[in-house]
Amino acid sequence: MENLIKESIKNLNEVGKKAPKLEGVPSGVEGLDELFFTSRIQDSRALRVPLGGIPRYAIVNLTGISDTGKSLMVEQFAVKQAARGKRVAFITVETPAAFLSVGLKERALAMGFQESDEIEKNIYIIDAASYSALREDIKVLLDTLAYAIKTYKIDFTIIDSLTGLYEAKEMLARTFVRQVYNFLKKWYQTALLVSQKRSGHEELSAEAAGGYAVSHIVDCTMVLSKRTIQSQYDERVYKRPIGELIRFFRIDGCRMCGHDTDTHLMEITDLGLVRIGKSLKEYLQKQ
Amino acid sequence: MPVLRPDEIQQYDIDTIAIRVFLKALEIIGGPRKLIELRNLTWITSLMEAAYAVVLADQSLKTEDEIAEFLGLTRQTVRNILRADPELVMQKLEGELQEKTPRAHTAGGLAKLAYKEIKEGRDYLNFFIYALQSASESLGIYWPIDVLRKIKGMDFPVGKEELAERLKGITIKNVPMEKILEKLEYPVKSPNDLLHRIRISLEGGD
Repeated sequence: MENLIKESIKNLNEVGKKAPKLEGVPSGVEGLDELFFTSRIQDSRALRVPLGGIPRYAIVNLTGISDTGKSLMVEQFAVKQAARGKRVAFITVETPAAFLSVGLKERALAMGFQESDEIEKNIYIIDAASYSALREDIKVLLDTLAYAIKTYKIDFTIIDSLTGLYEAKEMLARTFVRQVYNFLKKWYQTALLVSQKRSGHEELSAEAAGGYAVSHIVDCTMVLSKRTIQSQYDERVYKRPIGELIRFFRIDGCRMCGHDTDTHLMEITDLGLVRIGKSLKEYLQKQ
Repeated sequence: MPVLRPDEIQQYDIDTIAIRVFLKALEIIGGPRKLIELRNLTWITSLMEAAYAVVLADQSLKTEDEIAEFLGLTRQTVRNILRADPELVMQKLEGELQEKTPRAHTAGGLAKLAYKEIKEGRDYLNFFIYALQSASESLGIYWPIDVLRKIKGMDFPVGKEELAERLKGITIKNVPMEKILEKLEYPVKSPNDLLHRIRISLEGGD
């Protein structure tokens, strides 16, 4: 027992030495990188300093109802990392690999990357959409991801979507997410997990994001939502015609660093790229 | 873009893990011979079912319904297995062993306890030694078997003094065990952990 206690204390001391440096990872999504901050002390005062991207080693839950741009955002993220020469594991639960690769190539072109070897060779697709063993058995999936991380030296992981792994057994959502979270932390991954928001209730919070209380587990939650202009009031406020769609983005929480807390306008360009715009507050003031 | 090939998917053998849990559970209750003596071999079926249930729930995150369907049990039985309290079972095991068929929570408690032991690297050592023996002979590496035989019955985690006492007299690659044990970190968590640490030490690692 005495040895065990000594060992625990030594490990706790070592934890400090192993603490990773806080730095930003450029996301490939215009307007997003400026929304994360860190602090610096100057003249005894804390100054807000841009982090330059999502915090490295963060496990990010990207959630929203259907067709809000979640998959586009993670594809942009994957392409950006690949273009930087970083290796990405892309676990696709919804779209089979062949179709996903078409989407990723489209995203790369829209982002201005010519067909390049870097992007082609740096994104490793784990096709859980086609192989049911990966989708239906979490141990098989995580063992395979561990194999990929070790064999191909992967630093970034994307799962699209996490909720696809526990369909019809949502009472296990927290157990699933906890296992995935612990796994990704153990392997020092920076990860984006897409989860389908189960209801439009509290549309800009993590409420019902991928299952009950799942957002408490992850490091960071970003929420996407959309709304159709249906009333004259909306028309006046948003200066958009009735019938048009307006999109929103919000960082609901991030325990790893400071972040912007406003709701932002968001758009999906006709080339299929997500862009984060002004904060809604700023937009309405200008109106 | 590279897509992971089917042969890179890391399938695992659930039957093997369930059997390891089953064997460990048998060891905990005193070995198969004890069941024969008490004339209640019907425990074997229940222990096997409980071993599968625990592995399916923890490793594969299967729901109670899925496990019930796989094992041909009712959902309530599976629930009783998975919610069993291992400590409570150990407390009343002696009395229960006299019964012909264990209750679901008894088998479940034993399987859960056995599964925890397996996860921490403490398999049913006698069987493990037997399985390892022929492989060791084929490879011409005998020291793991010598070490495992000497540590039979030890409660892990263990410290240096207890290991030194048990392993005295063994020499590996002309290095006396006392010298090897000097270099290890303590406590050693399991037999697997001990073999691993000895190997690293022999290879000149920390």
